[in-house]
Amino acid sequence: MRLLFIALLLLAPQASRPIFDDVAAETGLNFRHHNGMTGKFYLPEIMGAGAALFDYDNDGDLDVFLVQGASGGRLFRNDLEKQKLRFTDVTEKSRIVATGYGMGAAVGDINNDGWSDLYLTNLGSNQMYLNKGDGTFDDVTKNTATDDPRWSTAASFLDYDRDGWLDLMVVNYADFSVTNSPNCYAPTSARDYCTPRVFRAPGNRLFHNRRDGTFEDVTVAAGVDREFGHGLGIVVADFDDDGWPDIYVANDGDPNQLWINQKNGTFKNEALLAGAAVNRDGKTEAGMGVDAGDFDGSGTDDIFVTHLMDETNTLFTNAGAAVFEDRTRETGLGTPGRRFTGFGTAFFDYDNDGWLDLLVVNGAVQLLPELIRKGDPFPLGQPNQLFHNTGNGRFVEIVEQAGPSFQLLEVSRGAAFGDVDNDGDTDVLVTNNNGPVRLLLNQLGNRNHWLGLRIVSKNGRDLLGTRVDIVLRKNRILRRRVRTDGSYLSANDPRVLVGLGSATQVEAVRVRWPDGTVAELKPPPVDRYTTIKQ
Amino acid sequence: MKLACIFLCSLCLLCVSVICSAQTIHWPDLSQLEPDVRDQIKSQQDILISTIKDTHSTDTKLSAAYGAMGEIYHAYSLTGPARECYLNANALAPKDFRWIYLLAKLDQLDGRVDEAIRRYRIVTSLRPDLVAALVNLGNIYLELDRLDDARSNYAAALKNDPNSPAAHYSLGQVALSRRNYAEAVEHFEKALALAPDANRIHYALAMAYRGLGNSEKAKLHLAQQGPVGVRVADPLMDRLVQLVEGARVHLMRGKVALEAKRYEEAATEFREAIEARPDSVPAHVNLGATLTQLGDLKGAAEEFTRAVAIDPNNANAHYNLAVLLANEKQHEQAIEHLQAVSTINPNDAGARFFLAQQLLYAKRPDEALKLAQSLYSTTRALQHGALVGSALADLGRCAEAADWQRKLIARAVEERNDELQAKLKMDLQRYESCRGLKP
Repeated sequence: MRLLFIALLLLAPQASRPIFDDVAAETGLNFRHHNGMTGKFYLPEIMGAGAALFDYDNDGDLDVFLVQGASGGRLFRNDLEKQKLRFTDVTEKSRIVATGYGMGAAVGDINNDGWSDLYLTNLGSNQMYLNKGDGTFDDVTKNTATDDPRWSTAASFLDYDRDGWLDLMVVNYADFSVTNSPNCYAPTSARDYCTPRVFRAPGNRLFHNRRDGTFEDVTVAAGVDREFGHGLGIVVADFDDDGWPDIYVANDGDPNQLWINQKNGTFKNEALLAGAAVNRDGKTEAGMGVDAGDFDGSGTDDIFVTHLMDETNTLFTNAGAAVFEDRTRETGLGTPGRRFTGFGTAFFDYDNDGWLDLLVVNGAVQLLPELIRKGDPFPLGQPNQLFHNTGNGRFVEIVEQAGPSFQLLEVSRGAAFGDVDNDGDTDVLVTNNNGPVRLLLNQLGNRNHWLGLRIVSKNGRDLLGTRVDIVLRKNRILRRRVRTDGSYLSANDPRVLVGLGSATQVEAVRVRWPDGTVAELKPPPVDRYTTIKQ
Repeated sequence: MKLACIFLCSLCLLCVSVICSAQTIHWPDLSQLEPDVRDQIKSQQDILISTIKDTHSTDTKLSAAYGAMGEIYHAYSLTGPARECYLNANALAPKDFRWIYLLAKLDQLDGRVDEAIRRYRIVTSLRPDLVAALVNLGNIYLELDRLDDARSNYAAALKNDPNSPAAHYSLGQVALSRRNYAEAVEHFEKALALAPDANRIHYALAMAYRGLGNSEKAKLHLAQQGPVGVRVADPLMDRLVQLVEGARVHLMRGKVALEAKRYEEAATEFREAIEARPDSVPAHVNLGATLTQLGDLKGAAEEFTRAVAIDPNNANAHYNLAVLLANEKQHEQAIEHLQAVSTINPNDAGARFFLAQQLLYAKRPDEALKLAQSLYSTTRALQHGALVGSALADLGRCAEAADWQRKLIARAVEERNDELQAKLKMDLQRYESCRGLKP
């Protein structure tokens, strides 16, 4: 009896404390997205925008780039000191002039100089910004030949030919123009936003890095022009475990694509037979955000795609060799996803227990009658959702404990994941369409032990695509990968942050580098970040 | 027993609230709805109000009036007021399964899973023969991964209707969840036999065959999979569909019929849409497309012309007109409409390609060449490159055309595009043979 009483006392305060606190305003992250609404229900108004978490000044902490609708994105420098966060707007100093109607951001070091570069997707021409290493950026879009004048959304840097230089895949959404935008209607018969299906799907673009500061458009040669879709999400991972990066594209209302790397510079879309193109009913869904991760500890990257309300968010488990099964309902994710329209998402271990959890940020794309009735001027707001991985193949939605910001009705779109205050747990930057940015600081994760790894080339480039196996004990291997892509229109922390639960050490760390070679490393110390050079 | 209702404010304004002892009904703002829809809802509101005011109205009559109002709101996805009306209808006639069933449908839509289960259970006790309720309840259990509960409801549905494709299909999904692939195949095959048009079943079958290791059969079914799913016969929900009025609905129905190649039916729906809203550009464009399928090209051209007159920026109407004119070899007129499309949507590669072709037919190879070159530089598509070759040849620059064509053929070989390769080679022969004949 007495023991039970003590246990309850210990548990009670933990249960009442929110997992995430929004600290954006108090840390100087003052930014509000403006979508430039015209009242004419133009589709691009409600689709943006994303954000990037990246260490542009290589001072060891994550800075923030926030994509803006009409009036230019902003770069905020993280002036972290003794785990106290403070952001300073350095946009003008950085010489980034994000001129387009912004959608998303991707991060990668395109010239192997150890400084992260920034690619911005827009409705219209995109922009490539080269990080000069002195706090400033150069617009090298023209010189690098990496523009795409269409409506681009997600983008991902990947080394698809394993030559040690990052290539770029750009996902495009719809052939929209103000003049070709028809009037669309809700089931109530009132005017509403159109679905993307009224516009043609423009196709995606793959740029190959020529290693001389320029890129070559290899879309056709690589075969990624053979399937079209209204693309919104992208994630790169080695789904068939052959050592070569594959590409998964989430399409809005069209079958998703799984571009399997043929190891000769070309790709083949094998999504349909692989079981990852449509849901288990054979129905195409409205794919928005996407992520890949080994949520069940099986050693393969599974795929999670967020969708429209009245559809589930869909979890495709990977049985190995890129054979997928829709196991949404078996994992407990079926019903909770139907209530909202999901966008940004990621597999991440918010409580550092070693199991990848999920966060989904939501916001409708068709006006919600209940909010119209309440006089909401932008009636698309929905709450965000946190799902805890119970470690037995199921997720449970965490509602009250998640934090007050999870009760807000906002039109969330992007979500970037990373350890912003370097305290050993993953924080989340959430962007809201026509609303303020939220920085959700994790107050819980570092109660468990963790391992932080930054994996770089000899030049200091984050080695995107590196696979890391952390061996906790026999039969318990945590597989993670170095990436910045996934989620929705956003770029994530390239560092690998692995929750260890109560383990105070690891047995081994095995790395498969992007060139396919493998190495076993001396186990690094836990509860701190360690940089590993290839 | 009659519910005592008190009117709080005047009935002539929007957002009137009717407070009853059972449930407050928040009347929705109708100002943004189509006039037809607004009139239909208002008229039902008037019926409801007069029924409430009538002191002789029985509970049954009042319940029916609330229920009918709820159905109309439900039909237009005004789910909040629909729920309030159904709740009142149910309070007045608790044994009438219809309102409980429709409330359960709303619960299901809103993610109120426990409420939906509770209500479907009541419905199945009142009407154990209602297959739709059993299948819907099974579907909720299936999504909750409560496979035994799902299975027993589907089995009960089959007992009532052994030929229910929805029940067979869903039993297949239960088996697939359990990775019992052979049983899944059996149920999916039965469902497909009962509903051969439901081509989405092929996908489920493909996944089941894949699970059995039969990749050949899996591929065979994947090749046949399509967008039509299995649906359970649901008279109450079908009734809601019939309630929907207005141009938009006819347009929607017309599009469904057009997709299903039921052209006569589609034309009727589009004509009704035009009658309800004569300036509906999509209705004119779709009617034009339907008439084209019916072989009435003159009628189709008239519809596209009307659409362009109403909205000169409608790219589809211009494009479709261009197609008809091109078929009639009226290339110059087709060019005008395609130029309009290119102005409206400069990124429309398909229209630019078509325009370049028409310029060639109209013996304007200079312009065709310029356009094809610009198009190819953007898209790098082989078929666009082929047009450059044609234009060069038409300009008499046959050697150049042949050189260009060889490069394209090399690319087609590299990309293993056999079909285009053959066409490019045929054209190359033509260019080689015209060498020397023209300057």
